[in-house]
Amino acid sequence: MKREKSSKHRVLELLRIASQTAFFGLFLYLLLGAHYTGQDYIGSTVQRFFHFDPLLALVTIISARLVYSYFAFALITVVATILFGRVFCGWVCPLGAVHQFSSFVFKKTKFLRPPREEKASLALKYYILIIVLAGALFGLDLAGYLDPFSFLTRSFATAVFPSLAYALSNFNGVLYGLGAIGLARSISQALENWTINVTFIQGFSIGLLFLGAVALNARKERFWCRYLCPTGALLGLLSRWNLFKLKIDEEKCIKCGLCAQHCETQAQPYPNEKWKSGECIYCQNCASICPTGAIRFPVSSRPEKMTNVSNVDLSRRKLILTTLLGIVAVPFFRLTPFHKRASLKLIRPPGSLPEDKFLAKCVKCAQCMRACPTGALQPVLTEAGPEGIYTPRLDMKVGYCEYYCSLCTQVCPTGAIKKLTIEEKNKVKIGTAWINKSRCIPYVLGKPCIVCEEHCPVSPKAIKFLEVETKLPDGSVAVQKAPVMDLELCTGCGICENKCPVRDDPAIFVTSVGETRSETNRLLLDITKKTSVDPYK
Amino acid sequence: MKRRDFIRNVAAGSLVLRFGPGVLAGAAATPAAVPVLAAVEGESPAAITKEAIAMLGGMKTFVGKGDKVVIKPNIGWDRTPEMAACTNPEVVKTLVELVLDAGAKKAIVIDNTTNQAKRCYVRSGIQEAVKQAGGDMLFVDDYRIKKMAFKGAWLKEWEIVLDVIEADKIINVPIAKHHSLCRLTLGMKNWLGATGGARNQFHQDIDRAVVDLAAFFKPRLTVLDAYRILVRNGPQGGRISDTELVKTVVAGTDPVAVDAMGASFFGVAPRELPYLGYARERGLGEFELEKVRLEKRKI
Repeated sequence: MKREKSSKHRVLELLRIASQTAFFGLFLYLLLGAHYTGQDYIGSTVQRFFHFDPLLALVTIISARLVYSYFAFALITVVATILFGRVFCGWVCPLGAVHQFSSFVFKKTKFLRPPREEKASLALKYYILIIVLAGALFGLDLAGYLDPFSFLTRSFATAVFPSLAYALSNFNGVLYGLGAIGLARSISQALENWTINVTFIQGFSIGLLFLGAVALNARKERFWCRYLCPTGALLGLLSRWNLFKLKIDEEKCIKCGLCAQHCETQAQPYPNEKWKSGECIYCQNCASICPTGAIRFPVSSRPEKMTNVSNVDLSRRKLILTTLLGIVAVPFFRLTPFHKRASLKLIRPPGSLPEDKFLAKCVKCAQCMRACPTGALQPVLTEAGPEGIYTPRLDMKVGYCEYYCSLCTQVCPTGAIKKLTIEEKNKVKIGTAWINKSRCIPYVLGKPCIVCEEHCPVSPKAIKFLEVETKLPDGSVAVQKAPVMDLELCTGCGICENKCPVRDDPAIFVTSVGETRSETNRLLLDITKKTSVDPYK
Repeated sequence: MKRRDFIRNVAAGSLVLRFGPGVLAGAAATPAAVPVLAAVEGESPAAITKEAIAMLGGMKTFVGKGDKVVIKPNIGWDRTPEMAACTNPEVVKTLVELVLDAGAKKAIVIDNTTNQAKRCYVRSGIQEAVKQAGGDMLFVDDYRIKKMAFKGAWLKEWEIVLDVIEADKIINVPIAKHHSLCRLTLGMKNWLGATGGARNQFHQDIDRAVVDLAAFFKPRLTVLDAYRILVRNGPQGGRISDTELVKTVVAGTDPVAVDAMGASFFGVAPRELPYLGYARERGLGEFELEKVRLEKRKI
């Protein structure tokens, strides 16, 4: 019998690689494009990827209890998965592409030698999925932590891009040193043009998690996709009815086991009856590597046996137990004081929903942080309780809220930050600035300063002056203009805090009180609303 | 020598004697007639800028062939032109055109902005204007900021944007604005935008800082944009009602005189601005406009 590899499947495999490269490229392009381009409104960027993600759609709809029309796109993915299986994972997902490429590199460099038979349980991702869905019932949005789009976007926005930009800018220093001024200048101008901020408070931990996820591929190919990804698990459950079922031509098969050894996702192509439709991502590796071209994917409308979808023993007991675990876990996330009282340093982006609704919708993708022109938007660690980890907050020591910018509101994929026009945004108060008179230069040192007043972007200014007498250590009295706040005019943008010459702990600082989005974190009853003249009308 | 030749020579000689001294005196008098300060009022920012430079003897007086020229407008804020927080883009554009027409190799426009640089460059309209005129718009690069000896009365050393001082010629193009600390920000204060570091500490003695900076940068030419000036809520305003139309450009070779003239648009006497006094003490120029050759024109 003629031994020949299937050229058709080799072509399909190459097409799959091209598709992954294209989608990864598109992802990078769109994510890089989420910045101030010179236009006030930047249209749709990388958030469109998220709208195709059925897990994010499902969890957001359940946890926020409302339908967000953009998630209609996710139906396309659902239908495609029902018809064709997990092609989304194999051909589209950019995080999948990262994992597959790094697995390939680890294999080529012999860091990874796939065993002939892999027996590790694939159940973990299904349990993760169940916990995520159970949490969603109680308004707990956990999808963002392990959803591939959220994970990848967050990692790139707050760790990969910044570290590349940092490295490039250091390289620039070398170039200037060597006299290659033209090249160095082009690089620095491009970095400024793309607005890549290099300061992210959680950049280290997020970057480390990303590297860890990539490094796991040295242990198992596409480790993430096999064992962790809740989106993959959801798609796996949908793939039962798909039309293309793996078929091994028994006459051609020489039982070499290469297909099973090199299967990216442990879908076990050989023996045929053990093939798991819920795991197969149609990467075409097996069909292309088969020395006799025995593997095909003929059309078959026969639904897969449920036990065979993943061949995971998801017994009723285990399912119930995990669901209970997910439900019991919810209060654990909520045992924080933040549900009773707003955190003073939790300054959410303009347009953010009230805190509980915000948490129910935010998928921690960090696109807002990517879009922020000043780098003020930072991933939260402790300021919002455990369920708020990696949600955005403004840190005025890093950046501030640009007065005429509403980019963060435009890129949010789930509407946790409501889309605002510039005019609408200018009416939103994200916090209130306070003056620390015991650190402020005119108050304490009797010297002129008014840097905060100069930078205050509202007109008339929210920072005004008083002539203040200061007793100096030598007993003399200095009279200086010193800042006082007009709280009604302050929007909490924080440029005053950012530019205050008292660097370590600025003498003017913004806290969240008075934020428009909260009905409880208020300062004055009528701070944002005009009271009617006639109380009986 | 023939008689005829003699007569011709005498005639020629007497002609030279008759007109010669006048011609010579005229040649000597032309530069003397060029004003130190030219203030032009008119409807078009471009036209009044052009006219003001022409009155000072034309751009060729200031810029040589092959020069690298830095034009330093005020692009400090993320504000559109009608807010009068940044220099009028038409004024900047005209200067770039004039500089390039005068034979300059490069016209670089740069400012170390306060808000995000790209937002300021784009929304001030200056980026587009400079591009149209064929100039280069440059973002300040961290590696192009160096600490330098200043020899100032107060500032001994400070971080400076290298692109500015490496130029062959510097042209300062400020806008006239209200400022709550030094009352008015005009030409000399515009140099804060060519510095880096913790420059907001300048505010602790702003008048001396302004003069030290002005003495350091020494522009060939200062062109003050007073087309639309900011009269309150400076230095960035935010409402059109914070601005007033003066429709004037003041160009001059004496930076102190330019600022003194600028102050007059706000009804502020030069003596009320301490930095003008310090600047005169340092020999940077004259703020008493009666002592300065000033030419005003309306077109």
